[in-house]
Amino acid sequence: MATQYSIKLAISLISSHFGDLVAKVCECLLRKGSLTLADITRFTELPQAQVKNCLLVLIQHNCVQAFSIQIEGGVGAAPKVITQYTAIFDNILHRMRFPKFLTIVSEELDKECEEILEGLFQHGRLTLEQIILRAVSNQNEGNSTVQDAVRESFVRIVSSHYVERCPASEPFLAPPDEEENPTKKRAKSARLAEEIETLEKRAISAAAPLESERFAVITDTGTDVKSGDRSGSRFLDTAIGEKRKHEALEMDRETMATICEKEVLWRANFEAFIRRLRHKACVANVRARMDDGACTVLNAMLEATRNAESRIKTENSVPLSMDAILAEVMKSEGGRSMTVERVRAALGQLGCRSSPRGAEDSHSVDLRNIIEIAQNDEMESIVLKRYGRDAYRIFRLLSKTGRLVETDKISDITFVDKKEAPKILYNLWKDNYLHMEKLTSQGSKQSDFLLWKVNRSSLWKQILDEMCHAALNLSQRLAYEFEQEHEILQLPREKRVGAQGKRFERIRKVKVILESSLMKLDDAIMLFHDF
Amino acid sequence: MGRTPDTSLKRKRPDPKSTSQTLSDAERVLYNLIRSKEDMGIWTRDMKRETNLQDNVVTKSLKSLLAKNLIKEVVNIQNKGKKHYMAVEFEPSKELTGGAWYVDGNLDTEFIKILKDQCLKHIYKLKVATIEMISESIRRSGLCKVECTTQQISEIVRALVLDNDVMEVRSTETGDFASIPLGTVCYRCSSKIGPGGTSKVGAMASIPCGVCPRINECTPDGIISPRTCVYFNKWLDF
Repeated sequence: MATQYSIKLAISLISSHFGDLVAKVCECLLRKGSLTLADITRFTELPQAQVKNCLLVLIQHNCVQAFSIQIEGGVGAAPKVITQYTAIFDNILHRMRFPKFLTIVSEELDKECEEILEGLFQHGRLTLEQIILRAVSNQNEGNSTVQDAVRESFVRIVSSHYVERCPASEPFLAPPDEEENPTKKRAKSARLAEEIETLEKRAISAAAPLESERFAVITDTGTDVKSGDRSGSRFLDTAIGEKRKHEALEMDRETMATICEKEVLWRANFEAFIRRLRHKACVANVRARMDDGACTVLNAMLEATRNAESRIKTENSVPLSMDAILAEVMKSEGGRSMTVERVRAALGQLGCRSSPRGAEDSHSVDLRNIIEIAQNDEMESIVLKRYGRDAYRIFRLLSKTGRLVETDKISDITFVDKKEAPKILYNLWKDNYLHMEKLTSQGSKQSDFLLWKVNRSSLWKQILDEMCHAALNLSQRLAYEFEQEHEILQLPREKRVGAQGKRFERIRKVKVILESSLMKLDDAIMLFHDF
Repeated sequence: MGRTPDTSLKRKRPDPKSTSQTLSDAERVLYNLIRSKEDMGIWTRDMKRETNLQDNVVTKSLKSLLAKNLIKEVVNIQNKGKKHYMAVEFEPSKELTGGAWYVDGNLDTEFIKILKDQCLKHIYKLKVATIEMISESIRRSGLCKVECTTQQISEIVRALVLDNDVMEVRSTETGDFASIPLGTVCYRCSSKIGPGGTSKVGAMASIPCGVCPRINECTPDGIISPRTCVYFNKWLDF
């Protein structure tokens, strides 16, 4: 998607986290797409060594993916393989959501897991060994028991899918096979556009580890990473419950565990976090619109199937049988008092489609619909604030109908005066909220009818861009306020009196309001972009 | 509108009615034309065009017809400056008046507001209700001096739904819905509000940038920038 201001927002995030040089390289990639090192050097006019370092920083922090691709050589030359770099836009924006991600882990898991995640956010990607070392140095003591506790937490956070193995550093994208390509007959330009669009996506999916490997972890329990000593008995997590019959096999596991700890890089799995936040947003929306019963049931359904969802933007929740739903509902406090009848009613409220699958019927909720309702709410509230109540009613009418409606009809249904309605409609149309069509009837008397509808796809894009603009503004204003009140913020507690005390109080409030607004606005950005 | 016009009246022939006997030729032509337009009426300029009569003749004839109480002047909602005339026996059509909610060419906002409040109050009292139930409840309360049709109530409720004050739901036949058959469309107050509450404001709408008229001119280093923004200053003035 990457609209103008979303790119600006991404660049400002990178600039505040890694400085202007890295931001410059990142901007170049965001604006121009995939480039080789030589291209970046040429466009940014920076020394190649510097560009290289910037790219390393961005790769370390999962903001850039490298991939190699074969290009045709010049006349008579053999095709050669080049390395290109592409910025991962979404991962850059996720950087402003770290506090939210940390909260999720601290709520669902524990403090130790949160610390591991924090380390990963600070360093981008780490091996388990580095994670353990970091934990040990934080606690100033590091016997193998402490280390094993960290290993345990690590296994937990990986099995909850919040941490994953890093993607391959430089996957090779094979040139598309001309023979097999069914698009051959189509116009060349169309094919070209399609290829360019998918190149980055192909690179990212090629780099992703296999689903089976992604969360596979073997820990080397009992080992002291500092000295390499082995104290006490050794257990390998994967070996639990298995008899250690073969020495050779045992040796293999040990080596694998060592490799796993020392060489495999891990990173935060943003996808899992975003999916979690999406679920939360759905539940919150249902709670506001319906009752606690529906909310409890939806929560239970999402909870039961959380690791079964493969994509973030799933249309429907994973189908569940009535028994499975009941079992999960009973786990929650609010659900214990719910009867089967009540759960059924809640499923009805959620617009659950039950499809008989085999012997028992399975239920799934249309999550896409819930997200769309939440998006509409956000959109309508903007219309209400900007254009007033009459416009709000008109917009809701058009948004609900989803097709062209004639001016007079609109005015009749919404109780907006016939003279006012065209003005409001014109204003909304002028600002790109509505699409207008003119119909001329050639009867006894020639007359024009104007038909209107909501310009959904382009309006959504425009609002997302404005939201990114607003988020950028909020963060810049916050930085500016801090810069202005730099000295006041440094004041020790006892000096915060009189005029200075007031200024301190003000900047404190400013910080709270700007930061909380930014958080909420980011929720809305996720709603429109990620969910 | 449910009237069946007597087709014979349309013919430009001496009218058998006694009144028309006293009309002049010009008046008769004009009267027949106006009458043929039934409840749509006709604009003076169109009369002149269709009859090819001179301006002063038309004006004089209209005056005389008005005096004889054969035609009347009506307001056109689309264009108040255009004088429309119509035969007395017709009521102005919906296109001219704007419909039941218009009085003298103006939207009767006062009446609509009262009716909206009433509907909201009754829905709140009933918890969930079908249109018929709301309509019945209002009728029985006797608060409304004017008799409202179910159709009118339904239009009002539809507007309330668009206002997001009322939600359209389908009966589940349980709880509050117990007395309503399964699947019937009902209405209930949006949970966000009691009577007189305000709706939740979205994330974007609650910050100055969300409603900023100058957002397109605002750039980090421009004349309008988040650093110098007056709306921000006002917002952050504690």
